[in-house]
Amino acid sequence: MKILSCIAAGAVALGLATPFAARAEQPTLNLFIWSDYIDPGLLTAFEKQCNCKVVETDYESNAEMSAKLKAGGDAQYDVVVPSSYYVPELADEGLIQPIDHKLVPNFSNLAVKFQSPDYDVGDKYSIPYQWGTTGIVYDPAKIKDPGTGWGLLFDPKMNPSYPFVLPKGEGRDQIGAACAYLGYGFNCSEKSQWIAAAKLIEKTKKRPNFSGFIDETPARDQMKSGLIAASMAYNGDITQCYADGSCKKLKFFLPDQGAEIWVDTMAIPTHAPNPKLALQFINFILDATNGATLSNYNQYASPNAASQKQLTGIMSSTLINPTDAEMQHLVFLAPLRGAKYKLFNQIWTSVLQ
Amino acid sequence: MIPRGVRYALSGISWPVYVLLYTPLALVAYYSFSPAPNSTGHSLHAYNILLHDGAVGAALQRSLILAFGSAITSTVLGTLLGYGLCRFRNANAKGFLAHMPSLIIYTPIIMPSLVFGISELIFFNFVHNATGFLSAGLGTMVIAHITFQVPYVALTVFARLSGLDPYLFEASYDLYANGVKSFFYLIVPVVQPAIIGGFLLGITLSIDDFTISFFTSGPGSVTLPIYIYGAIARKGISPEINALGTLMIGTIIALALVHFFITRHRERAGQLAARGKIA
Amino acid sequence: MSTVRSEVALEAGRQRLRLWITAGPGLVWIMLFLLIPSAILLAIAFFSADDYGNPVLPLSLAPFQQVAGYSLLGWDSGNIAIFLRSLAQAGTATLVSAALSYPLVFFIMSRPESLRPLLLLFIILPSWTNQVVRTYAWLELLGPNAPVSWLAHALHLVPPHLGLAPGSFAVTTGLAYNYLPYMIVPLYASAEKLDWTLVEAGRDLYASGAKLFWHAVFPQTLPGLLSGVIFVAIPAFGDYVVPQLLGGDRALMIGSLIANQFTETPDWPYGAALTIIMLVFTGLGLVAFRILTRKLGGAEEATI
Repeated sequence: MKILSCIAAGAVALGLATPFAARAEQPTLNLFIWSDYIDPGLLTAFEKQCNCKVVETDYESNAEMSAKLKAGGDAQYDVVVPSSYYVPELADEGLIQPIDHKLVPNFSNLAVKFQSPDYDVGDKYSIPYQWGTTGIVYDPAKIKDPGTGWGLLFDPKMNPSYPFVLPKGEGRDQIGAACAYLGYGFNCSEKSQWIAAAKLIEKTKKRPNFSGFIDETPARDQMKSGLIAASMAYNGDITQCYADGSCKKLKFFLPDQGAEIWVDTMAIPTHAPNPKLALQFINFILDATNGATLSNYNQYASPNAASQKQLTGIMSSTLINPTDAEMQHLVFLAPLRGAKYKLFNQIWTSVLQ
Repeated sequence: MIPRGVRYALSGISWPVYVLLYTPLALVAYYSFSPAPNSTGHSLHAYNILLHDGAVGAALQRSLILAFGSAITSTVLGTLLGYGLCRFRNANAKGFLAHMPSLIIYTPIIMPSLVFGISELIFFNFVHNATGFLSAGLGTMVIAHITFQVPYVALTVFARLSGLDPYLFEASYDLYANGVKSFFYLIVPVVQPAIIGGFLLGITLSIDDFTISFFTSGPGSVTLPIYIYGAIARKGISPEINALGTLMIGTIIALALVHFFITRHRERAGQLAARGKIA
Repeated sequence: MSTVRSEVALEAGRQRLRLWITAGPGLVWIMLFLLIPSAILLAIAFFSADDYGNPVLPLSLAPFQQVAGYSLLGWDSGNIAIFLRSLAQAGTATLVSAALSYPLVFFIMSRPESLRPLLLLFIILPSWTNQVVRTYAWLELLGPNAPVSWLAHALHLVPPHLGLAPGSFAVTTGLAYNYLPYMIVPLYASAEKLDWTLVEAGRDLYASGAKLFWHAVFPQTLPGLLSGVIFVAIPAFGDYVVPQLLGGDRALMIGSLIANQFTETPDWPYGAALTIIMLVFTGLGLVAFRILTRKLGGAEEATI
């Protein structure tokens, strides 16, 4: 018993001592971001610059992020990184606050085509972070003929036996892809089209080789270890693992039936504990050199015009910068608001269950 | 009592079950020694990575703060609760009010931990929006862990006290003539094994829990189980995760065995049952 | 006379005060941090959801219609399937752990008395490690690249390239593994109290082994078995970690469905309504247990 009480006393002392030590009056920036999306070196550099601490927490989908914000996270995180089409939804819900442009002088570094976009006129709530595309990744050792559209995921004849997944997320990409496969176009917006797409996904879900709803980045990691043979994927995730050599055998393509092009943005939650620090961080990311460091690390394209000269190697590939032909069938997802948003969510919820 | 043939049959079924109980855990340990990239043979590579991973260290520290912080508080609350209900409750009282304490104590035990976790999530959220206090994080996790531990400690202490001779209490009153004194000089020493048992049970429950922690955690309050869960959901199982799992399993088994052999002559299977989380 | 009465009243008051000072903090804590929160959760089920899944007025029963399976895609049997699947999986896990517990308990009973606590400890030990760790451990054993899955391929139990996990089989196995100790401990407690003279008497009447077990042993261990069933079935029905790690999303169980309404595509009223249904099932299980034990002589009554 003595031993145990000693262990207990020790652990208690440890436990009581540390929180106080850590509370040494350093402001903290709570960053809520997609996994594998920021260079840890950049965070260290920012910590030095601002004399603060950065705590990074990861998420895998916009839905997961907004659910956390809604459950009290809007008063805990300082910077979040929603996708372009999700910005109006968060703003409508009152989960993010307007940006004070006076404190973001580096905003002028952004390429003009990324300034004041349709989804957030006047850059009121969001500042572009990175941009990219969503396509299909597959293992050519198992799948010989991936086709050119979304059939690899939705046509049982094209992949009768190898395990594959669909992302869980908020459903926009999945319904979009199913719509594109059915010929309604990726940005379908009619209730009847959504329902038809939902029924297709429900049917897909019942196929014996469907191994679940797994979001893009975790799915890529499972593909590396050979657990699954096909999945939806972000272009940068694949470039990233090409660059570190961990997924050389995998192949990525953008289906010609239509696929998503997106901008991920930085935004500040309504009740962020440290909004000043958040603005400082946003400005830091928009710096020319930091923007380049970011893209060279996470292998996504940068909206930062001033950074382009410093990008290296694989960054110039068509995987990052889609060809003109690919651009033809890439679309931005239109934001959904109010009743339309609710309708979509209800449809997606019934697909998941 | 049991015929020889039946005994053989029982052994024949039971030993394989024992093996099966430990096979998955053994596999975790086995895969944790997998070779480093670009080399062969078993290695401690994964453990080396783990040792230099700051996130794991921080998670371990939080898990310990959570386990000990919640167990100490719940031991105090639970001991008082068990003592009070055993000594001061009017045994003849009837009606709803008289049953209230039992109802309150059994709710956390019966409530599925998912419902528990989500209730806390919503509650802390409301309180935070209204007052600015209780933002989700290690603090709210400690509160939630205390809540599910208190009843187990109370039941453990209550069971011990109700096994005592009631004249003991009266004798102690004659001796010390003061409730507080009698509590600290007589009751606490007598029920000490139960208090320690309750404390250890609290630690065990805290270490075991994932669901409630998951729903009450906030930014920067990743504990070991949440870290492991997140890593598996994201990247699948890696040798590092297996190494971490092995260390956790190893520590628990070692501590449990040490505790068992130290207290074996004092405690019998009955208390063991109590620590098996069933009151 | 009146002084005596007031003395008695005073003493009763003091007793109540002492009760409040000692038991009060713990009870208030649980009230504040569990009963009130769960009351809020239950109340949310009767609100309507706004466009973003937040509870808003007016009060509405729409969440319960959703629970019953009505959605924009028309009526769907999905939810009923999830309930039935959760029941079936919890039921199978309970059966499996009961079937394993009987031989284990009597095996332990057949060993020398000094060894019994240790043998019991080794059954309980895995449940002291963390739930996530002992659950994902089964992925190592049942995953697509593990030997057990190759065997399953050879026997054509699962399609090639897929493992036994994730899937329903893995979920049932994981649940039985997680909750086996909860069955063993109460069963062991009642087996320890077994009256062997009854068994001897039965043997003298030349009853066969199976009959002997059924008529002399089983009824005596029934209270323990019933407690075990409650301790296994209730948490297994609402478990979150096991289906999440071992189930994939094809074998969705009620726990994951509820969690989704708070973590993925928020719809709090719907999630709360599902929670009510889950608690109703839990409550029904408890009531059935109480009635059964009372009929059997009220062996396992609450102690406090």
